[in-house]
Amino acid sequence: MSQAGPAPRGRRVTAVLAVLALAAGALLLARPLLGSGAPAAGGPEAGFARDMSTHHAQAVRMSFLVRDRTQDEPVRTLAFDIITTQQAQIGMMTAWLDAWRAPKADPAGPMRWMGGHAGHGAAAGAYSMPGMATPQQLRELQAASGRDAERLFLRLMIAHHRAGVEMARAVLARTEQAQVRRLAQTMVDGQRAEITLMESMLAARASGRSSR
Amino acid sequence: MSKSARTRAQKNSKKKNALTQRQTPWGGIVFFTAIGLAAAVAITFAFLQSRSSSADGASIAGVVSKEGLGRDHTQAAVKYDSSPPMGGAHDPMWQNCDARVYDRPLRDENAVHALEHGAVWVAYRPDLPADQRDLLAAKIKATDYSLMSPYPALDKPIALTAWGKQLKVDKASDPRVNKFLLAYVKGPQTPEPGAACTGAKDTP
Repeated sequence: MSQAGPAPRGRRVTAVLAVLALAAGALLLARPLLGSGAPAAGGPEAGFARDMSTHHAQAVRMSFLVRDRTQDEPVRTLAFDIITTQQAQIGMMTAWLDAWRAPKADPAGPMRWMGGHAGHGAAAGAYSMPGMATPQQLRELQAASGRDAERLFLRLMIAHHRAGVEMARAVLARTEQAQVRRLAQTMVDGQRAEITLMESMLAARASGRSSR
Repeated sequence: MSKSARTRAQKNSKKKNALTQRQTPWGGIVFFTAIGLAAAVAITFAFLQSRSSSADGASIAGVVSKEGLGRDHTQAAVKYDSSPPMGGAHDPMWQNCDARVYDRPLRDENAVHALEHGAVWVAYRPDLPADQRDLLAAKIKATDYSLMSPYPALDKPIALTAWGKQLKVDKASDPRVNKFLLAYVKGPQTPEPGAACTGAKDTP
């Protein structure tokens, strides 16, 4: 009996090894589908990268506008900070999309990755995301100067940042991707702090106070 | 009887090495076949995934490519060798391309600068039916880094242009329109990735 043992036992060991190898292979294949590989082109990470890039681009634009419209150092410094930070973040998010081989555009409309709670689709333009200034508001900012420009900029940017924080929180609730979570968290923290700062700056510039 | 025969056979096989063994090594065959199959499936899967990427424009039928386009800045009028132009020397001011629908023709020299920044320019012949124009406009308004304008000299109803890439189609509903936008908005053809679509020329 002890002599009859080795062959079947050897076979059983190989069978177990084969099953293990198959399981390992299957796991390897399932990795991208489980979300630990590159995020899908239509997933929340790619949608966030696309939409937040557009959102940031407008903040950069508004910050440049106000720097042209006032000589007030605190406002100009804040605008400089927003320009450099958010433009760099656009670069990071663009690099993600490159690495994930995901498109940088979605003609079907923005914000769909957030589950449509914002009610967006192709009918809503890329520039009608929450917090975005309207073309009319941008023209007003471009036409204003001094304290008026500062107040309008601060009001528009507070609304812009609030929606930005919401969008970053939305992706935090939808992804386990470490690099996405890290950048989104810095956006939540950084923009919240700037909202507090801008609210105090706006209060200090309330109508009636020094109007250059 | 049969039991003693088997014992004898096993005794014999114990002395033989694997090459002379008569018994078929099913365990080994299954083991290596499984590994081979897993590898083949993994490679095929990876290949298909990299090929079917939606950010790939190579699979869009009818796209014309142009290489070696100049990038000089000039305020003079430029003579382009395709219509609409696909790149080349251009005006220092780019046409703003923030999901923008213009209702009048643009200056080629400004639009080409927008292409350099990664925009896709949708040009349409003014006789394009209104419903088709609206369909195109909806796509453009939803797509940052794109712009749209009428183009009277166009030889086809619609032309989509990125830097060095062009596709002409008859209908706005052509599925290649979306594919072109997905592939080339801020696509790999972009000579100046990261450049802006705002802050320059805002009117036709």
